[in-house]
Amino acid sequence: MRFGIFYELSVPRPFAPGVERAVYENALAQVRLADELGFDTVWAVEHHFLEEYSHCSAPELFLTACAMQTKQIRVGHGAVVCVPAMNHPVRIAERAAVLDILSGGRLELGTARSSTWSELGGFEIDPDTTKQTWDETIRALPRMWTQERFSWQGTSFSVPERAILPKPVQQPHPPLWVTVTSPGTELDAAERGIGCLGVAAASFKEQERRTAEYRRRIANCTPIGALNSQVATLNFLYCHEDANEAARTGLGMLGLFGQENAQLLFTREAYPTRAYGSLANLAPAPVRREGSPGDASGVPEGMAIGDPERIVRAIKEWESIGVDGVNFLLNALEVIPQEKVLASLRLFAREVMPRFRKQGGP
Amino acid sequence: MLAGTRDLDALARSAGKLASFDAPALTLPGVELLQVTYELGGGAPESFFPPALHPTLPVLAVLALWRADAGPLGRFALAQLRLSCRSGVRPRQLLVASFADGELARAALNERFGFGARRARIRLDRFYDRVEGGVDVDGASALDVTARGPLPLAPGDVQFFSSMHAAETAKGLRLLQVDTEVHVTRAERAEPRLIHFAADAFGIPGATLAYPVAAFVALCDVTLPRLRFACRPDVPASAGTERIS
Repeated sequence: MRFGIFYELSVPRPFAPGVERAVYENALAQVRLADELGFDTVWAVEHHFLEEYSHCSAPELFLTACAMQTKQIRVGHGAVVCVPAMNHPVRIAERAAVLDILSGGRLELGTARSSTWSELGGFEIDPDTTKQTWDETIRALPRMWTQERFSWQGTSFSVPERAILPKPVQQPHPPLWVTVTSPGTELDAAERGIGCLGVAAASFKEQERRTAEYRRRIANCTPIGALNSQVATLNFLYCHEDANEAARTGLGMLGLFGQENAQLLFTREAYPTRAYGSLANLAPAPVRREGSPGDASGVPEGMAIGDPERIVRAIKEWESIGVDGVNFLLNALEVIPQEKVLASLRLFAREVMPRFRKQGGP
Repeated sequence: MLAGTRDLDALARSAGKLASFDAPALTLPGVELLQVTYELGGGAPESFFPPALHPTLPVLAVLALWRADAGPLGRFALAQLRLSCRSGVRPRQLLVASFADGELARAALNERFGFGARRARIRLDRFYDRVEGGVDVDGASALDVTARGPLPLAPGDVQFFSSMHAAETAKGLRLLQVDTEVHVTRAERAEPRLIHFAADAFGIPGATLAYPVAAFVALCDVTLPRLRFACRPDVPASAGTERIS
């Protein structure tokens, strides 16, 4: 089981001078600690215009800072929007290669197509086209990284023969992922041989079904590049020795995140289209084992909120249904004081992480 | 999270009047609908909403023109402007203006649902390559809009959301939630083109329809069910929502 930390970089109102900087500095301090504690990956989203919810519009810069301040932890674009109006595919390949070099081969590259009208409308992007541009981009990326000279004649972009420089450190290239919010995207991942980066949790049963179908399909896929067959899911982390204190603080974070998420204007709400089949909620939904009465603390089952023993049980459940990694949001709108976030990370690393590590290795 | 800041006295002045919470549901078969969506400009997003509600960012201005040819209220048209928002975490649209062009229908809609619909002449004309819509109030144009180049969609590709509107009720000023049920049998997306919009007439003086999003035309069966929820406008919906027994 691999453990990651995941950043939206949400910023509380009022947006007074210094507030955004404090959020970034707190996040960097958490990343440095996570690196020391043995967490595997730090992920950062790419979002634009999403007031409060995410002020993380240039994740490659944040992740570069993370890489420069750490030694072991991998840095994950979670995810770069593969729509040329936001990111030209050549620029994605170039920036990713530079980040892979600077981090010493620690890059994971998540891909996405954006799901809110706030973002797509802000860049005047036709929602009907984003799945196609994502598909075209991710098929081009491995070639840009591995071919000495690259050319492309496509629908959403074309490039005459050019050398895409520099090349990444990892061979043949950094692992590729796709963020999964809507049901069915896991099949897109399987068919292309790339990893499933869950950013909205399904029920245990649904996640089990999706993971099994992903495993079945990826076994016979034609990979677009180097095969990445990992499944990761998103969760919230607040670990405290006192279960009641953990529930109180963790539920505060969970509720606030839910409120923030509800304010987002999803594409389907604004624009009639068959390209976005659901409202594509970005928030992890409460999960519950079918038939279970639920947790008396009020914390949804499967959430890593509680004392260490409760969190171990939750992660064991995810492990049992075939999930390879869990990525944690640590805060929302800075509602949890920084010292408590750091203490939660330390306690998790001391009491929970060793239960999922093999002797003598990660 | 931004919360509405609209002055409640101003909201009360534009409110309809609900005769009774017991009004029956209303079903309208075979309704033609033109819905045009723009991003709203011309003011802070929160300024358009009472404290009970939260604006989406951006706020969508949704202009809906309905033409009913059959049903218990006879032939009539209804024009409404709704603004996208949230009631707690739930997606809603605040109905800020209603117009109707049949007296029987206008009176019935106002009495049953407290829409406060004003008298207007409403146009909804289908051409081969476009649908034109308009609202004339007191002989002056309040809205003139075209949806060009309709292309087929699946009926499930269009979304509808519950609306809330201010009305004076036996409990005082309330936001009444209408969970309109729309069964779409045909839908087409089109490109919106705004020719004229009088923000004053639609109750949002100073606002602009700043950026086109989309338009669609649809054929649908519509039911306005009995009112189930009301909400105090002055406090967050989580604290001010009341179930109508």
